[in-house]
Amino acid sequence: MKKLNNSDKIICRCEDITEAEVIQAMEMGAQTADEVKRLTRAGMGHCQGRTCRRLINQMLARKTGQRPENQKAVTQRSPLQPISLKTLADYKK
Amino acid sequence: MTKSTDLIVVGGGIIGAATGYYLAKSGYKVRLMEKGYLCAGSTGRCIGGIRQQFTSDGSIKLMLESIELFKNMDRDLGTDVHWHPGGYLFLAHSPEKKEAFLSNIAIQHKSGLKDVRWVDAYEAKQIAPGLNIDGLLGGSYCPTDGQAYPFAVVNGYTEKIKSLGGTINTFAEVTSIIHGGGKVKGVRTAKGEEYLADIVINAAGPWAKELGAMAGIEVPVEPERHEALITEGVEYLGLPMLVDYRIDGGYFQQFKHNGQFIGCYTPVPNVPGHDSDSTYEFLAEMPKRMLKLVPSLAPVKVIRQWSGSYEMTADGNPIMDQSEIEGFYVLAGMCGHGFMLGPAMGQMMAKFIASGNKKSPIAEFALNRDYSYREAMK
Repeated sequence: MKKLNNSDKIICRCEDITEAEVIQAMEMGAQTADEVKRLTRAGMGHCQGRTCRRLINQMLARKTGQRPENQKAVTQRSPLQPISLKTLADYKK
Repeated sequence: MTKSTDLIVVGGGIIGAATGYYLAKSGYKVRLMEKGYLCAGSTGRCIGGIRQQFTSDGSIKLMLESIELFKNMDRDLGTDVHWHPGGYLFLAHSPEKKEAFLSNIAIQHKSGLKDVRWVDAYEAKQIAPGLNIDGLLGGSYCPTDGQAYPFAVVNGYTEKIKSLGGTINTFAEVTSIIHGGGKVKGVRTAKGEEYLADIVINAAGPWAKELGAMAGIEVPVEPERHEALITEGVEYLGLPMLVDYRIDGGYFQQFKHNGQFIGCYTPVPNVPGHDSDSTYEFLAEMPKRMLKLVPSLAPVKVIRQWSGSYEMTADGNPIMDQSEIEGFYVLAGMCGHGFMLGPAMGQMMAKFIASGNKKSPIAEFALNRDYSYREAMK
């Protein structure tokens, strides 16, 4: 199996965002996970950042010399899981 | 700490970014200040539609110009902004709406928008595959309207500002405007920093009123909450942006670059204020409205909902003017059209500032105007 470069490592699996792209966003001035999301689309895909938000917070922490848990969490939005338009349209209170 | 530049743009959305870019390009040393991060306000929450179908001559001409700028933007900014001329189709389900659209089309032709035309229901279905034409009389269709990706556009502009020698200050909330003797002198931030410039531009979108008040200038812009949702990406179906003005209508389109459907509707009654909460009502209601227009989208999954502000003026027209305080300019009140108007607005604003003229280049965009006219295609 081919050894991966750092740049090839996938951080966001839904949107195919690599570590290099996240680093580039930080170099453009991103200080928070919300900015990385908007610059790269990491966390905007099907799973809404379930895997990548932790990884991105670690990368931001490394860059800023803080702890990952001290990074401002990316805004969580509903729905928690993808729901079809039909299921939502048929929803009755 | 005090730092000087030629001018300060307050607001890190499309209006501030585009204006900053065109000013930097014409040689000004620009500082753009944003209280959060870039696109944290309205621009990052908009659905990315771009259309020329308006009813005021000023807006139509600006949008003709904006579309030209979007067409050349990849080359100009050196980044892919995902411009795609997917078209806009406004739907008429009543004779009154049809009448109104026909008269709008005549106005649009007169203002130089030649691409727009009336299409009957049969043709509408050819243009928008899968469109439910029950009760549809036809629509107003413009194939050269389109879409782009808001984040890429704003970041393209701000990267250019930096490469032209300007500065972008994020997390820099302006809390006061420094002025005296009828002239603006700079701004002060929440952190107590002072930035000096002879020109300060209020491009604060939904916060334009608050920013104006810091200098004692009344800017009649009121935010209203609009909610939106986005689906997973699916195969691009080639539908134009669909706009349904009925009380239970809405508007949505599909991004060509990743296949996601994105849409929203105007709530009745409106929701004034800076509130940016999302509601279950919207999440349940918007899909009904989408499926009423295009039933075949039933299995497509919604992945996210959010809300953002339209920054409204009473007459639906933007404000582009210099205030009574020399050097303190206002470019705000885009009424939900900031993203599409932004490039041309920024370009015109840069020319206006460079000209040194006192009065707005477009009378209908003046700050102290009669706000009783109404834009019919809000």
